[in-house]
Amino acid sequence: MSVIAYDVIVIGAGTAGLTAGARLASEGLQVALVTAGEPTACLSTGCIDVCAAGVNPLDGIADLPESHPYHRIAPAAIRDALLNFQRQCAGLHLPYTGAPDQNRLVLSAIGTFKTSCLVPVTMRSSPQNEEEKIHIVTFAGLKDFYPGYILSRLRNAAFSTYDAGVSTTMGIAANFEDDTFLEAFILWLEKLNLRENKIAFPAVLGLESAAAIVDTLEQRLERPVFEIPTIPPSMPGRRLFNVLKDHFRRQGGVIYWNWPVVGVEKAGRQIEAVRLESQGRPMSLNARAFILATGSFVGGGLSARRETIIEKVFDLPVFVPGTREDWFEQDYFSRNHGIGRAGIAADAAFRPDGCPWDNIFACGAILAHVEALKNGCGHGFAIATGEAAARSCLEYLR
Amino acid sequence: MIKTDVIIIGGGATGCGIARDLALRGIPHCLIEKGDFAAGATGACHGLLHSGGRYAVSDPVAAKECYDENRILRRIGEKCVERTGGLFVRLPGDSKMFRERFLRGCDDIGIPTEILSSTRALELVPNLNPALEEAIVVPDCSIDPFRLCLLNMKTSQIRGGMSFTRHRVMEIVRSHGRCIGVKAADVYTGEIKEIHANLIVNASGAWTDRVARLAGCEVPLTLSKGSLVITNHRLTDMVINRLRPASDGDIIVPNEAVCLAGTTSLLVEDPDRIGIESAEVDTIIGEAGRMIPHFNSTRIIRAFSGVRPLLKSQKLDSREISRGFQIIDHQNGMYSIVGGKLTTFRLMAEKMVDTIMTAFNLKRDCETAERPLDGQEELSGYPLNKRLADMKNIVCECELVTRGDVERIIDQTGTRHVGDISHRTRLGMGPCQGGFCTFRALGIMHDMDILTAEQSVQSLREFLERRFRGIRYALWGDQLREEQLVEYIYLGILALGKHS
Repeated sequence: MSVIAYDVIVIGAGTAGLTAGARLASEGLQVALVTAGEPTACLSTGCIDVCAAGVNPLDGIADLPESHPYHRIAPAAIRDALLNFQRQCAGLHLPYTGAPDQNRLVLSAIGTFKTSCLVPVTMRSSPQNEEEKIHIVTFAGLKDFYPGYILSRLRNAAFSTYDAGVSTTMGIAANFEDDTFLEAFILWLEKLNLRENKIAFPAVLGLESAAAIVDTLEQRLERPVFEIPTIPPSMPGRRLFNVLKDHFRRQGGVIYWNWPVVGVEKAGRQIEAVRLESQGRPMSLNARAFILATGSFVGGGLSARRETIIEKVFDLPVFVPGTREDWFEQDYFSRNHGIGRAGIAADAAFRPDGCPWDNIFACGAILAHVEALKNGCGHGFAIATGEAAARSCLEYLR
Repeated sequence: MIKTDVIIIGGGATGCGIARDLALRGIPHCLIEKGDFAAGATGACHGLLHSGGRYAVSDPVAAKECYDENRILRRIGEKCVERTGGLFVRLPGDSKMFRERFLRGCDDIGIPTEILSSTRALELVPNLNPALEEAIVVPDCSIDPFRLCLLNMKTSQIRGGMSFTRHRVMEIVRSHGRCIGVKAADVYTGEIKEIHANLIVNASGAWTDRVARLAGCEVPLTLSKGSLVITNHRLTDMVINRLRPASDGDIIVPNEAVCLAGTTSLLVEDPDRIGIESAEVDTIIGEAGRMIPHFNSTRIIRAFSGVRPLLKSQKLDSREISRGFQIIDHQNGMYSIVGGKLTTFRLMAEKMVDTIMTAFNLKRDCETAERPLDGQEELSGYPLNKRLADMKNIVCECELVTRGDVERIIDQTGTRHVGDISHRTRLGMGPCQGGFCTFRALGIMHDMDILTAEQSVQSLREFLERRFRGIRYALWGDQLREEQLVEYIYLGILALGKHS
């Protein structure tokens, strides 16, 4: 079995893990990131939700319950983490619009408005109210996007349908990376003689080149153009993941792709190594510290049994919100289900409470008391806690 | 106003069976159902076509009826009955005396049995608890209750019978003390249809007393709730029963790609307000897990419950109340038919229609036991090659339902209820429980101008609430994980709220 040593092993390739990993690598540490597969970030809208409460999300954070892990980070540090993220993305051809102290709305694929903070430039012109006159262009056979849902709310909206030759989100996005396809599409659009103020598309406008494609469309159509995030598979989520991954690698980080952790090696108050396995092949990675960023239930960091909840890598103590009866309220739409509080409770240094080892730091959705849906804490929370856990880890290693 | 000879209230197995029998005897009729076909107890049961073994000790008369009907349905309903065979398994500690009574009971009634050693039983059903003492084979089968209702209604439709689903009976029209018709409201538009007839049959199951009260009568019932769980695997190809007196969680039935296990038995007051408790789910899984240990680790995709309408009795455990049925002549032009079981629905219909023929002073024998169910030739099962031919347009990945399938059902039925599409195509029946495909199906319904944009969104919201009620009690492991993803999509990505 091959044994390789790093300074830090990050477990989980979501926004939190990649952010923490990039920070540690940028400080000159040898960092490896291990992941069982694609992160849930790929399913997301790609928007950076910080805190949905308030006009200024940083004010909203101040009002969150004392148990919320956001309170373990200084407001200025949260702000810096978000600004830093914006700088990284701008340098990697996927600029994010907005400012950390200002929430904004994003039109959803069902016509509601979702509160977010930093949004990909392709959603920069998303309307901020129901009155705006928009024209939606959709694609024949695209099974995850129905303009009718949006028309139920935006009375001034209309739509047209383009036949892209393929009908999947990924297939259409791949077509958009081809200049000939794009040019034919623009010619078709120009012939529509659209009168609405803005043109909307489901978020399928390419993968790597999305920002440039939106630019081209805006210039040629002489009006703002924006994407509407779709249900998974989501291109904006995948673009975000790609940018974070690129940034991590540029800082010198290494990724072990499709290598789930199957065991850990410990000595005294230290975790010494994680054992990985891929297609029957074992490997062991030694490190001085470990960042746990495996996400919540969807991400696979937590797993619920009938009576309890377990953390899957280190079997750390999990904060379980009551008995199974308490995990879900009767009202589906309450956004207040107890299960949203489940996770790893951590101290000010993002060390798990009750953890028998000193060299584990946790960040992102696996943390307890986040209530991501209720509070609208998404990637913004992952970025802020990723940076904070990385800082604590740095201090520990020095 | 519509005129007919007989009005049937209720579109469960009994009502649909009566419609078929009336059609075959040439009697014009009209069936009214407040939901979809099989919406009540019919659709909320195991889907077990009893061999009669279950009642061989406790109720030999019902057992005999079951066995006779079992043989008839196997013959006339090939496309909705799966001849799985059943096992009664005896586990360590189960009474040997009960086994003797069981075998003697089956023998007296004529139910064929075969005793298997544990080794032989494990060869037939490898997932059985290897500690079992022995198993007894009986001719239990699995039956698709929804398809059964549709096939019965097919005969009615071919022969000019009328039916209105999603119509609620608001009033029984009376003249000189006699019931002469009903007023039924379209649940979508509120539009009232007045239908007159010579006789009214109240076959509304758990709602029988409520309907009877509209005509100034009463039908005292004991309502017994039974809960079941569905696994996402077919853990057995045979029906599995526990060889002991009827108790919680002692039946497992394979159906298509899944298994159903249940039930419990709790008395309830209101058939519209039945919930499930976590304890019931745990009991069923625990008991089913004694027979098939995989039940403890397999993914439970949903729990649901139905209400058995039983004849009123003083007995405290509703399992001891007779599962026989009764026809009540209210002496005012209305009959109520209550009790019985899914397995004996055809017999119940036959007796009901015999009564109607006598009342009409007409003579024509029942043919429902001899003629195969109409419409079966169109059901070719689920040939995979046919479904995969339109792979590009798959709307429901779990059950391989295409956009074409959805459009066809909408064209055929004109339905505005996404549940009707699910019943007819299995859309949304798989592990995600409609989490992805219902969004699509409702989008398609709007594309086809069946629903307005507002109605699509409202239907989606109602669907999510309904879905959640079904899965709330089975949320742990992978099903909880999937549920969190679905919640993230609708409440997070789509920012859907109760009122927004």
